[in-house]
Amino acid sequence: MRSFLNIGYNKLFAFFVVLGLLSACDGGNKKLPILGERDWVTKTVDGKEVTDTIYNVIPPFSFTNQYGDTVTEKIVENKIYVTDFFFTTCPTICPVMKRQMVKVFKEFKDNPDVMILSHTIDPEHDTPQVLNKFAKDLGVEGKQWQFLTGPKEKIYEIGQKSYLSAAQEDKTAEGGFLHSGAFILIDKEKHIRGMYDGTTEEGTQKLIQGIKSLLEEYKK
Amino acid sequence: MIKKLIFALSALTIFSCQSEQELKTEQYFAEGYQIYTMNCANCHQADGKGMANLYPPLDGSKIIRDKAAMACIMRYGMKGTITVNGKPFNRPMPANAKLQELEIAEVITYVNMKWGKDSTYTPIATVTAALTACKEH
Repeated sequence: MRSFLNIGYNKLFAFFVVLGLLSACDGGNKKLPILGERDWVTKTVDGKEVTDTIYNVIPPFSFTNQYGDTVTEKIVENKIYVTDFFFTTCPTICPVMKRQMVKVFKEFKDNPDVMILSHTIDPEHDTPQVLNKFAKDLGVEGKQWQFLTGPKEKIYEIGQKSYLSAAQEDKTAEGGFLHSGAFILIDKEKHIRGMYDGTTEEGTQKLIQGIKSLLEEYKK
Repeated sequence: MIKKLIFALSALTIFSCQSEQELKTEQYFAEGYQIYTMNCANCHQADGKGMANLYPPLDGSKIIRDKAAMACIMRYGMKGTITVNGKPFNRPMPANAKLQELEIAEVITYVNMKWGKDSTYTPIATVTAALTACKEH
C-alpha cells in the first residue's frame, strides 16, 4: 500500500503539472523547472518598477549521519543531491524506494558532484548505529549516500516545508508513519528541480535523466 | 453389470478428485501470487531473491519447506537472527494479522511451488494446525 499524505497533495501536484507543461513549451530547452512556492517582490530601481521572483530554497540544517558525524548544508555545497524520507522498520514502500535508490547510487557512484541524503522519520528508533547497520546491509559504504537522523520536529519541518514532501507520525498507518514515496532533486542553488516517484522504475529512470540534465547545465 | 457400474462410478470419483485437486492447486497458486505481490514482495522481492543483507531470499531457502514455521512467521512476524543460505539476517519481520488461514495457505503454496519443490497445494488444515500450535507457545 502506498501512503501519501492527502492534505494539499493534489493542489501541489496540479501546481507541478502546470509547471511541467509550462517548461515543456520552452522550445527545445530541456532545463528542469524550479519547483515550490514562489514569492514576488517589487522594487524600484532607477525609477522603474522591477519584480523579482523569490524561489523556494532549502534552508540550513544540522543532522547526524550514519557515522555519528554532524552534517549540515555545507556537505552539499556546490553539489546536486537527491533526498528522500524513510524509516528502517518500514514494511511498505521504503524497501521499494531503497531498492530504486540503490540504482541511482550505482549510476552516479564516485561522482563528486552528486550526493544522496536519506532522512529517517523515526529518529527515536533509527539512531546513527541503526542507520549504520542498515546502510551496510543495503551494501552502501562511504559518504556519498548519507543516512540522516536528528530531532524529530526538525526532520518533519524540513520535509514538509522545504522538500514539499509529506512526513509525519500516524499510528493508523502501517509501520506507524506516513510519508511520501518521492525522490527530490536539489540543485547547487538549493532549489528543488524535480520530484519523482521513488516507488516505480519509471520515476527512478526519470530521476536519473534529471540528474544527468542538471549536471549538463552546470558544465556550460 | 453392477460391477461395471461400480467401476465406472469409482473411476469417475477418482477422476473428479484429481481434477479438483488440480483446480485447487491452480487457484491457490494464482491467489498466492496476488497476496505475495501485495504483502511480501516489497521486501522479499517479486523474484524471491530478497534484498542484499537486509531481507532474506525465499528462492533456495530451506526454511520455506517448514510450512508450520512459515505459517507462524507470516501470522505473528518474527524477531531475532535467521540464517538463510548461509547468511545471517536479523531485521524483524512484521506480523500480518490480517491474513486469513486460507490466504496463508495460498502464499505457502505459491512460494513452495515457485521456489521449492512442491507440485500441489498446501491445505488450510496444515495452516490451522500450525497456528494453533504456535499460538500455544
